[in-house]
Amino acid sequence: MKTLAKKDLVDVLRYWTGHCTVMTPGRKSHDEIVFDEFDEATFTLDYRKPSLPPKSSCLPQSETIFQVDSGTYEPRISEAKVLLFGIRACDMTGILQSKSFMTADTDDVFYRARAENLATVVMACSGPQNETCFCTTTRSGPFSKQGFDLQFYDVGDSFLVEIGSDKGAVLASAKGFAEADDEAARKRVELFRHEAQGRIALLPEVSQAMERLERGGVSEELWDKFGSKCIVCGGCTYVCPTCTCFNVADRHSGNGGGERIRTWDACLYAGFTKEASGHNPRKTQGLRIKRRHEHKLLYYTDRDTHEGLCTCVGCGRCSDYCPVHIGTIEVVKAIAGEQS
Amino acid sequence: MTNSINEFEDADLFFVTGTNTTAQHPLIGSRMINAVQQGAKLILVDPREIQLAGFATLHLRQNIGTDVAVMNGIMQVIIEEALYDREFVEKRTEGFEELKSVVSRYTPRVVEQITGIKAADIVAAARLYAEADKAMIVYAMGITQHVTGTDNVKTCANLAMLTGHVGRPGTGVNPLRGQNNVQGACDMGALPVVYTGYQKVIDPAVKTKFEQAWQVEGLDDKAGLTITSMMAAAQRGDLKALYIMGENPLMSDPDTRHIELALSNLDFLVVQDIFLTETASLADVVLPAASFAEKSGTYTNTERRVQISHKAVEPPGQARADWEIIQEVCRRAGYPMDYRSPDDILQEINRVTPSYAGITLDRVEKEFGLQWPCPNEDHPGTAYLHKDKFTKGLGTFLPCDFKPLAEVPDEEYDFILTTGRVYYQYHTGTMSRRIELLEREAPEAVVEVNPDDARRLGIRNNDRVELSSRRGTITLKAEITQRVPHKVVFSTFHFREAQVNLLTNPAHDPVSGIPEYKGCAVKIRRCA
Repeated sequence: MKTLAKKDLVDVLRYWTGHCTVMTPGRKSHDEIVFDEFDEATFTLDYRKPSLPPKSSCLPQSETIFQVDSGTYEPRISEAKVLLFGIRACDMTGILQSKSFMTADTDDVFYRARAENLATVVMACSGPQNETCFCTTTRSGPFSKQGFDLQFYDVGDSFLVEIGSDKGAVLASAKGFAEADDEAARKRVELFRHEAQGRIALLPEVSQAMERLERGGVSEELWDKFGSKCIVCGGCTYVCPTCTCFNVADRHSGNGGGERIRTWDACLYAGFTKEASGHNPRKTQGLRIKRRHEHKLLYYTDRDTHEGLCTCVGCGRCSDYCPVHIGTIEVVKAIAGEQS
Repeated sequence: MTNSINEFEDADLFFVTGTNTTAQHPLIGSRMINAVQQGAKLILVDPREIQLAGFATLHLRQNIGTDVAVMNGIMQVIIEEALYDREFVEKRTEGFEELKSVVSRYTPRVVEQITGIKAADIVAAARLYAEADKAMIVYAMGITQHVTGTDNVKTCANLAMLTGHVGRPGTGVNPLRGQNNVQGACDMGALPVVYTGYQKVIDPAVKTKFEQAWQVEGLDDKAGLTITSMMAAAQRGDLKALYIMGENPLMSDPDTRHIELALSNLDFLVVQDIFLTETASLADVVLPAASFAEKSGTYTNTERRVQISHKAVEPPGQARADWEIIQEVCRRAGYPMDYRSPDDILQEINRVTPSYAGITLDRVEKEFGLQWPCPNEDHPGTAYLHKDKFTKGLGTFLPCDFKPLAEVPDEEYDFILTTGRVYYQYHTGTMSRRIELLEREAPEAVVEVNPDDARRLGIRNNDRVELSSRRGTITLKAEITQRVPHKVVFSTFHFREAQVNLLTNPAHDPVSGIPEYKGCAVKIRRCA
């Protein structure tokens, strides 16, 4: 355990920028909180849950994965070193879950390169960031138990800093950090965790819905009802920390060369599952919504959960942003409330 | 729109016609769905069973092109049953007797004959609409793209005024504009009859005002030509040159074969666009324009909100912002146009446009945009129009009689083709067809055919069919679906491989010049 005075934080961030790209929360125009390259003018510690999870640090919204030119092939494997400062525990769990999903069965070299070059500094939450947080239910917050390099606990004028890896130890060797490996500091962190956990209400419907799905007891009408109002924007998948599906396309440059790109995709789109024959195994919007939620609540392996309950990390963003209220919270409540 | 997008969540009733809202304005569609789930009512008047039909209290599937008759029928019932807003009609409108005399002929039984909607449903719709506290009329191109487009719009306005559903939050007549800045383009006078803010070119005082503002003499005081008249004039040889910006008439205008003849007949064609469109391929000069992300400026959206947009990346190659290209062309032509920035232009807009006078760069930057009219810098902008008083004083009822489609089906061309769009493609596909994911979702033109018609014609799902009108023939894939009624087929104009506008009828509204994209006679058969 280390400690860092708040007044020294900006110096530390500035120091880290000499070694890697440092991404921090910033307050941009119209009070929008955006994770962006560290900029003293907009940097803030007064932020809640950023609109987007940090998944683009490992899976950019759009990226070139290789380029070809007459006779040459050049993979584009990122070597950029990136540090995420101040991410939330739910998003840390999202990174862990996505990393094993993307690299364990099939090694996605493009993803792995970025993930291995990533350093993470978690800012433990002292309570819910807004009314849709349910990380205590999904066991993915309000503080991280694994995977982080450093974890900060805001204790007033200073932070207590937990070191989670060798990489974290190096980061915490910067000027400003002081040793705090004493009983008082450990007690202070325990208290912080205990209080934070107590402030975030449990959402028992999640486990109830998981059980119901396991038993196959959810009616098709329930999914059709959600499907009938879905406007197919795909936004729930874009704001989800654990949605990593992508589309691959080739762009020709016109002179025998070109590039292969990949972009975020969404299982909510009919074309995602449509087969060459025109047949679509998920032929209605209801079935596509069902598939998405089953992937979070039913179809996952213990390898990927990293002590979480499932592969939903309880950040609540899908419920925050779905224009027609088809977020995980609404879905699990509907499932749990259905007469069996 | 007379009213604002946020008001959708609080309305009690929506009268939705000629808009596939969830597909074309999905965030407005989502607000309607949320409102309906909270108890609001939805009257949908649309021949097709679109997504909103699943949320409709009443879905009236009218025969195509009978919108005036539908709304006249509703007004007849409202007057007959004395459900209209007597106080509003007396204090704020004129011409009620004329309206009454015209709509009195449209009894539910007569309307049923014309529109195919059951008389009882007309009565039910009339009662629901008139008795709602806050009712919004919402329409899009299904209302305007008819030879009777202007009549359709007037009739929507008559219905709203008759019931006092105007001038309050959650009411009004709300055309959903199809592009991010089509409202702005009209506001800025990109129309043949007006300068900015709808100041008429034929008004001598307006002429003088702009001559002074621009330090020129002899501005033209005659109305110009609409697009449809330009094409006809080009074909006759009366129009010699065209300068087309951000428009692809070779795909988007009706009876495209004639458009091609018209454009080929010009002495000189300039096209300014972000990509080499079908139309640009015919041009003598192509001017590469910057896209939205490569320039700064403002857009005015469907709720009259002027919003700022900042340049994010530099334009590629020789591309420049439209205003820079126009300025350079003007300079070469001998007029010393000298704007330094989009803000310079906005300041001139402020000076010459009363409704935009208070909409400054500083304010739109700080305040999430501003809705016009905004006559001075202290004015907060206007969320809804016609509060207490119409712009012209009293609102005049302009009753219209029903007129049929310009081309009705006959023995040979026995189907009505109605055209529109799909969610994943945008207009002529200039932009959206370059996006791989959108192409995956909607890769080709499809014609929707009703199952009973398909069975009779021996057409199966995904069969290729030949669709012909008096003007041309295209082949495309059939989708067999209940979404379209009997004897109606639907397709879209996004795909150059099956250009639906080779078939559409160039007959147009006499006032606005808008063509009748929403209904022409076709025949359909399975390809051998």
